[in-house]
Amino acid sequence: MAKTTENGRYSSDTRSIRTISSSHIDDESSLGSDSEINGFTSDRQTDKYGFIGGAQQYSEKSAQYVPPEVLRQREVKWLDMLNHWDKWMLKRFNKVRLRCQKGIPPALRGRAWLFLSGGKVKREQNPGKFQELDSQPGDPTWIDVIEKDLHRQFPFHEMFVSRGGHGQQDLFRVLKAYTLYRPEEGYCQAQAPIAAVLLMHMPAEDAFWGLVQICEKYLPGYYSPGLEAIQLDGEILFALLRRVSPPAFRHLEKHKIDPILYMTEWFMCAFSRTLPWASVLRVWDMFLCDGVKIIFRVGLGLLRCTLGTREKLKNCQGLYETMELLRAIEPQYMQEDYLVREILLIPVTARDIEREHHSQLKRWRKNRGELNFRPAPRMHGARLIMLAEPPRRQDLQQNPTIVIEEPPPPTPQLKKSKEERKSKKKSAKKSAPIEEIPNPYPLPTDTTPLPPPLPPAGPPDVDSPHLQEAPPADIPAANKSGLQQSSQSLSSIDQDTYL
Amino acid sequence: MGSDEAYNFVFKVVLIGESGVGKSNLLSRFTKNEFSHDSRTTIGVEFSTRTVQLNGFIIKAQIWDTAGLERYRAITSAYYRGAVGALLVYDITKHLTYESVERWLKELYVHADPHIVVMLVGNKSDLDSDRSVPVEEAKDFAAKKGLLFLETSALQSTNVEAAFSIILSEIHKKVSSKEVVRGSISAVSLNSSGAENTEKKPCCRNI
Repeated sequence: MAKTTENGRYSSDTRSIRTISSSHIDDESSLGSDSEINGFTSDRQTDKYGFIGGAQQYSEKSAQYVPPEVLRQREVKWLDMLNHWDKWMLKRFNKVRLRCQKGIPPALRGRAWLFLSGGKVKREQNPGKFQELDSQPGDPTWIDVIEKDLHRQFPFHEMFVSRGGHGQQDLFRVLKAYTLYRPEEGYCQAQAPIAAVLLMHMPAEDAFWGLVQICEKYLPGYYSPGLEAIQLDGEILFALLRRVSPPAFRHLEKHKIDPILYMTEWFMCAFSRTLPWASVLRVWDMFLCDGVKIIFRVGLGLLRCTLGTREKLKNCQGLYETMELLRAIEPQYMQEDYLVREILLIPVTARDIEREHHSQLKRWRKNRGELNFRPAPRMHGARLIMLAEPPRRQDLQQNPTIVIEEPPPPTPQLKKSKEERKSKKKSAKKSAPIEEIPNPYPLPTDTTPLPPPLPPAGPPDVDSPHLQEAPPADIPAANKSGLQQSSQSLSSIDQDTYL
Repeated sequence: MGSDEAYNFVFKVVLIGESGVGKSNLLSRFTKNEFSHDSRTTIGVEFSTRTVQLNGFIIKAQIWDTAGLERYRAITSAYYRGAVGALLVYDITKHLTYESVERWLKELYVHADPHIVVMLVGNKSDLDSDRSVPVEEAKDFAAKKGLLFLETSALQSTNVEAAFSIILSEIHKKVSSKEVVRGSISAVSLNSSGAENTEKKPCCRNI
């Protein structure tokens, strides 16, 4: 176990703060790669999620390893599901859920999240809306608060590390758009980490609609003035704990530790600031599939692991010691596999939550009067969201933003690919092996004829979370080989190329 | 966990004030001697301790920090419980943050102990060239309201130690003068290390 300091932080937490000095970061140029930072040297390694210097507790040995073949298979399955989303959601949701529990393959996570949350449908049903909000100046009070927060979200993630960089810019755009979309809600600071997590996986417009869905369907009222919903959920969490872990419950009750003191950041940020990143992604995969009960289960699980036995409570004599324990949870309890297993085993259903919600609401009304903000009822997961607002066929269509014109000489190999492309709408055969795909962008020195166009099912940059991205701009052959000019600029200034 | 050392008192001090004035950095500067331009927005509650020696007594300062944004005030009553001191922080370059001080004082008097010791802190004194709150004005206001006052810079470390020392001293004075009934605040006098006492008398009573 990592050594803890007096204040319960692991020494690695403080190291990353201590080693970053101040002023030279300010004159960051917004051009060029966001990860080019003056003064940062080699000991600041970026992990595969984009975190610098070990922030967000990524660790090689504790990460779950998925063999590439398995990843490829899962990708095929997910592509199939995404291509027939309504059918899968309505008739085979248990399978969708199972696949979410196994972890969405990184290459498709952004797309899957957008579909699961219903953000995709929202986007298609509101064409031009985000652009409209994006172009407005916004309420100066909110703008001021948002701007203060831009450099304070995941500051150790390379996407958000430079001031005025693309990441912070997009974060600003998304948060500002929300204050214009829902002026009565305005901005709540916990929305920034939520938006940031989304932005790590999808472009600004998609992230905006994802945020809308989370704020309105999954966690309604969490970010509203008065923060009543989060307080209520704190009470629900505590009440559920009685059944899940009586010792933890008794301890918290004895020391009068208000749930608000420990669950606020957990729930409002959907654990994005608490868990190691691999675990955050797994939790979000399940959360966007099954709703807030996942968040409750994680909270209950962490409380049980940390405070659930007499042994653990031995050195925990008061409120302060308890709080210290809860903010320095042992890494083993937050590790991906362990956590997912815990979540699946905790016997709390959406109905349990609603039932408890009902009791706590009654109690609230008795003690504190009527609620000031009555949010819409909570939707417990992707399927219910879809059922409540059924999409049109065209809302679920995927529109690739890169269109490649076929080169003149069709070879038999080409014809096959053409057919594959046409069968986008039909289900891909699950047993079809992934073919070797030749490089579609040959270097200038390469004199071989241009290979067939890529079928959409086989993206070249499988490890990139952004399938709609243009390829890097430094391949001059692109224009010369008769490729149709994509409507999007390839310049890295215009095109975000998040790693 | 730091509870092996002996201490005479535990004083809970809360940091309050508008978002972005520097509360979290005052906390990290005092308890860990750290500062970051990009420290994360506080959501929920953060806390740290530091044990200091004052006038021969060993005092464990438990400093609590929370989100400054307006709507978070709805959840702060749990946070004020048992606090004997408060640092009310504003940013000397943002007059608006100074104007909210009255509102924050009201918050305090509604939710916190009536005998709570309050210090008005004008932070970011290193940005003197961008100052928008004159020192004298703030000093007079503090005097009128019976508040302690200091300007600090968490970035340069200026007056941070002083601010905490002074407020802890004042709290100690109040506690010692028996102006308050011992039971109403979470300051307990001890003779020995508290780690061993688990059953009957907890070593520090935190309400």
